[in-house]
Amino acid sequence: MERFQYTRARTIPEAIGIGAQATTAQQGAPVRFLAGGTTLVDLMKLNVEHPTRLVDINHLALNAIEHMPDGGLRIGALVRNAALAHDATVMKDYRVLSEALLSGASAQLRNVATTGGNLLQRTRCMYFRNTAMACNKREPGSGCSAIAGDNRSLAILGTSPQCIATNPSDMNVALAALDATVQVQGSKGERTIPFRDFHLLPGDTPHRETVLEPGDLVTHVTLAAPRAGATSRYLKLRDRASYEFALASAAVIVEVSGGRFGNVSIAMGGIGTKPWRMTAAEQALAGAPVDEATIVRAAKLALADAKPQSENGFKVELAQRCLAHALRLATGMAAS
Amino acid sequence: MTTAVGQSVSRKDGIGKATGATKYADDLHFPGMLFGRTIRSTIPCGRVKSIRMDFDTSGFTIVDYRDIPHRNVVALIDEDQPYLVETEVRHMAEAIVLLAHEDREKLLGANVVIEYEEAEPVFDPERSPHSFKDITIEKGDVEDALASAEIVVEGTYRTGHQEHVYIETNGVIAVPEHGGIALYGSLQCPFYAYKALRSVLGNDHPLRVIQTETGGGFGGKEEYPSMIAGHAALLAVKSGRPVKIIYDRVEDMVATTKRHPSIVRHRTGLTREGRLVAMDVDVILDGGAYSTLSAVVLSRGCIHAAGPYRCDNVKIFGRAMFTNTPPNGAFRGFGAPQTEFAMEVHMERIAEQLGMDSLTLREMNALRPGDMTATSQVLKQDASALECLQEAVRRTDYRRKREELKGTNRGIGLALFYHGAGFTGAGEQRLASKARLDLTATGARIMVASTEIGQGTRTMHAQIVSDALGVPYETIEVAQPDTSVVADSGPTVASRTCMVVGKILERCALEMKERLEGMTPAQYHAKHGAFSIVKEHIQPEWMRWDDDNYQGDAYATYAWGCDVAEVEIDRDTYEVRPVKVTAVQEFGRPIHPALAMGQIEGGTVQGLGYALLEHVVMKNGAMANPTLTNYTIPTTLDTPELDIVMLENHYDGGPFGAKGLGELPMDGPAPAVVNAIRHLGLDLRDIPAIPETLIACASL
Amino acid sequence: MHDPDAPDHDDAPSGLTRRNFLTRAGAAGIAGVAASIPLAAALAEGVPEATDAAPDIPGTVPIALRVNGATLRMRIDPRATLLDTLRESVHLTGTKKGCDHGQCGACTVHVNGERVNSCLRLALMHEGDDITTIEGIGSPDALHPMQAAFVAHDGYQCGYCTSGQIMSAVALMKEPCGPRDSDVKELMSGNICRCGAYPNIVAAIQDVRGNSPMRQG
Repeated sequence: MERFQYTRARTIPEAIGIGAQATTAQQGAPVRFLAGGTTLVDLMKLNVEHPTRLVDINHLALNAIEHMPDGGLRIGALVRNAALAHDATVMKDYRVLSEALLSGASAQLRNVATTGGNLLQRTRCMYFRNTAMACNKREPGSGCSAIAGDNRSLAILGTSPQCIATNPSDMNVALAALDATVQVQGSKGERTIPFRDFHLLPGDTPHRETVLEPGDLVTHVTLAAPRAGATSRYLKLRDRASYEFALASAAVIVEVSGGRFGNVSIAMGGIGTKPWRMTAAEQALAGAPVDEATIVRAAKLALADAKPQSENGFKVELAQRCLAHALRLATGMAAS
Repeated sequence: MTTAVGQSVSRKDGIGKATGATKYADDLHFPGMLFGRTIRSTIPCGRVKSIRMDFDTSGFTIVDYRDIPHRNVVALIDEDQPYLVETEVRHMAEAIVLLAHEDREKLLGANVVIEYEEAEPVFDPERSPHSFKDITIEKGDVEDALASAEIVVEGTYRTGHQEHVYIETNGVIAVPEHGGIALYGSLQCPFYAYKALRSVLGNDHPLRVIQTETGGGFGGKEEYPSMIAGHAALLAVKSGRPVKIIYDRVEDMVATTKRHPSIVRHRTGLTREGRLVAMDVDVILDGGAYSTLSAVVLSRGCIHAAGPYRCDNVKIFGRAMFTNTPPNGAFRGFGAPQTEFAMEVHMERIAEQLGMDSLTLREMNALRPGDMTATSQVLKQDASALECLQEAVRRTDYRRKREELKGTNRGIGLALFYHGAGFTGAGEQRLASKARLDLTATGARIMVASTEIGQGTRTMHAQIVSDALGVPYETIEVAQPDTSVVADSGPTVASRTCMVVGKILERCALEMKERLEGMTPAQYHAKHGAFSIVKEHIQPEWMRWDDDNYQGDAYATYAWGCDVAEVEIDRDTYEVRPVKVTAVQEFGRPIHPALAMGQIEGGTVQGLGYALLEHVVMKNGAMANPTLTNYTIPTTLDTPELDIVMLENHYDGGPFGAKGLGELPMDGPAPAVVNAIRHLGLDLRDIPAIPETLIACASL
Repeated sequence: MHDPDAPDHDDAPSGLTRRNFLTRAGAAGIAGVAASIPLAAALAEGVPEATDAAPDIPGTVPIALRVNGATLRMRIDPRATLLDTLRESVHLTGTKKGCDHGQCGACTVHVNGERVNSCLRLALMHEGDDITTIEGIGSPDALHPMQAAFVAHDGYQCGYCTSGQIMSAVALMKEPCGPRDSDVKELMSGNICRCGAYPNIVAAIQDVRGNSPMRQG
């Protein structure tokens, strides 16, 4: 690990001020905000991240879950994953989020991992994490070892010839389905970013993962009021029963009336370079009868653009099955 | 009468482990200590052209092969593996240069630039031009019998690598002392490391090897510690200071041994009624780049390849092949889990082709007392295949469940297996292990090299001595293995520590008891002072073994088992989860029932991981997923209900009737699980059964 | 006489403790295990630590950590994780390093009563926090009920994951957890045991939960 200067920030402006001195807020940023540390400290030990300044933001007042006048929820960036998952309102009104959080990592990690940190969780691609290998995300222009390597766990959606790394977060999948918004404070003031615009596709710049600029501090994640009558579920498929990243996961929020789907929101994880919203499948479901044929058709449609890599072709079928089953669970066609 | 044996007495290591007080290698510190690091090859095959130290070398100790005072060879069986590459690189992560420094950050920052001339590597054992060892076991006339068999069933079965993942990685500390070296380390076999250090350092210096508390071994700390011990010793000799080398998890997974992958082909002849008349078995193990223990792993694999079945015509041909991958080595079961997997899945397929119930097939052919094994060993009364099978079937209501579950999402499968205890053939005779028992002022102290690695060696040995000597268990001490003071009781491997070493200790205790002439140890000690009893292993006089033809009494006895696995599949998502495993195992007699139960449970969990999860991905000759995130082993949630039954069938040659147990539980879970998945309609012949494998089976 | 085993507890500017000094700054020549005495004896006596008042080592920063109820002042490299600091500067080696990347749980300790992976926390983040290690919950003479249950149920084999398992289990007592074995298993899945002592670990935890003596703060 390389040396760094450590500062414990007392105020948000102080943190932002230090952050704004950096040239980038993306891969290799010289200033990093330190919250739970479960991603950052890990990557610093691997020399994948080597900030010269660490700003410990754990003591900022960003750890509340607030009920908003519009019936929504404002979640402080420092709210721990365990606290968020077990929050009574989240459990009742945003079940998909609670389930997604509890399906991730371990109890120990959930105790320290934060909402903001999980939002910015980095890929688990082995080649990104190994400085001996070529990786365009870690070192732009160096190549991608994953395309010809062990890419079983990597993405089949949103890939580019430069990068096929998966966004590993479970929470992000739920937030994508929930149409969350991300509140950011930066040197130019506050702004609100729709969730679907927050993460970037790798394209030719896989080292740029989000729209964050130097000094930008994620302060809150906001959820709209829960949709009345909607049911939500998170289904995660993986090799072992717990403490593992998803091979494929699905967050679904469905409204059903009169035997037909109403509004449906679907996002999937474990298969995309960013949390993946399944718009085509959502449209196919809306208004269609709640039956097996509809569900299977929608699941196929969801993965229509999938581009499997050399070793993860099975994930196309697995993801289809994952989504179909999540829809069955949410509509009561299958019991969990 | 026994008061300790057969009781789950309080373990000797419990309090220390539960309070964190127990010291492992990385917990020890010596004055002036340096940290060591290994610079490894980054190509699978080729030659080293040049080596350049691209860092400020002040304060560093640097060692390459030219610093080796004696022989650059890890002394084991064939002695083909160097401590440090001279020019030829045979596998990824092969050690080339050693560095030591007192500051770990500096050590990790040191950049050594190595230029290579690459050569074409061999990764496919079936295409390898070189075999480390060929073994043929032949009984009767297989070709003849196959030609006249009413039915012939063929099949090919494959198993992958398996990584040990002991939670404590490999680690040692070499400490200069008295002009020589004291080596502290996490290891199973202190005298293996001792022999290896003699080879690298020569005979001129005093040496001793001390086993520190060891955080898991499972075979992974049988031979590999000889390598890391040599490295630390070389750095300690050159620097004159203690040197600690602790591998990080990635290094441990990439560079150290794993279970041999296997390809096993069966061609089996039967009568229409299901009697085995011919078994032709071809075994290929991927040995990796050096022979290490491959020859003996192959040997045990081949001997167990015909399963616990009787058949007059058997031919087993085995090869351990060279590939440009890190050497594979000892792992709980030592070749038998691979070949018994193939046999037991094959039995299920045979039953299908015969249109008969696989239980009847197994019952009909199971080895009974008086029957002959593939090596023509005549089994004695302690052969319990049938008893295990029948108890497992009865206890699980197997026949009814097998019918009832048809067409559901639950499957039930079974495997029958056995495991020879102790070294193969004349191995124990050659080892000639010794044990020593010292009288103390309060009781007795056990002085053996057998290591506690979590399996309960200290406790179990103390129980045996306690009852044989007729003194309370609490008065028996167990010395930390230190080669300068304990007797060479041989390696802690091969399910031999209870049966073989325990027996020698029992004899020591019985002789000590005679010497005490009715006095307590305290009384005798007060009157006459201390004394020691040393005894050597006595090979049963009836054992005959022909090592050239692989015929005869391969093992003094066998432990037996039958596992029944119930699995549940989600046909929508291809998730397969074990629901329950019933393990009925006979290993003579449990000395400590709770410890024995723990061995069976633990081996079963490892077997479930082997079957369902553990997938070593090799890319360009190196493990490409060397982390605990990417190579997943079972968590507690992956562990189903375990119903363990310990049948007793005493073995006269073991202490208080005990046989070996450690490896047996590893043999059954994989085939039982795969047979349960087969019951669900998936024609699975390879492990691990990860989702892509299952999807491929389902779409056939 | 000053306890050579303990880091400084007073409020005076403190030096590095020896192992930290050695590890981080490269000092040599301080007393340690006498290499010629048998290991068992050395272990029983513990590893003696030096009392040298260490100089201000470049690159280190002062820190006060509250560990097992005692406030310890020392200088550490800012890069040091909580795990390495506990093991090498505070000399509490009961907390183990199994993977160093949050993938096994062997390093589990409590921060303000909650369990965390100490390998992924920088020690500097924890100034002002209450840190509890396996050494802080019980001793051989006064085992914590969870430690006693692990011993009674054989909830360990090789012992390397054990302190992490016990620390996890103790913290679990105060977390939302259903009554079933599967509820316990889900919450204990962050602690890997390769020996497969899982059934006994679950039994030990359920035993303590059943007796429910652990609900105190």
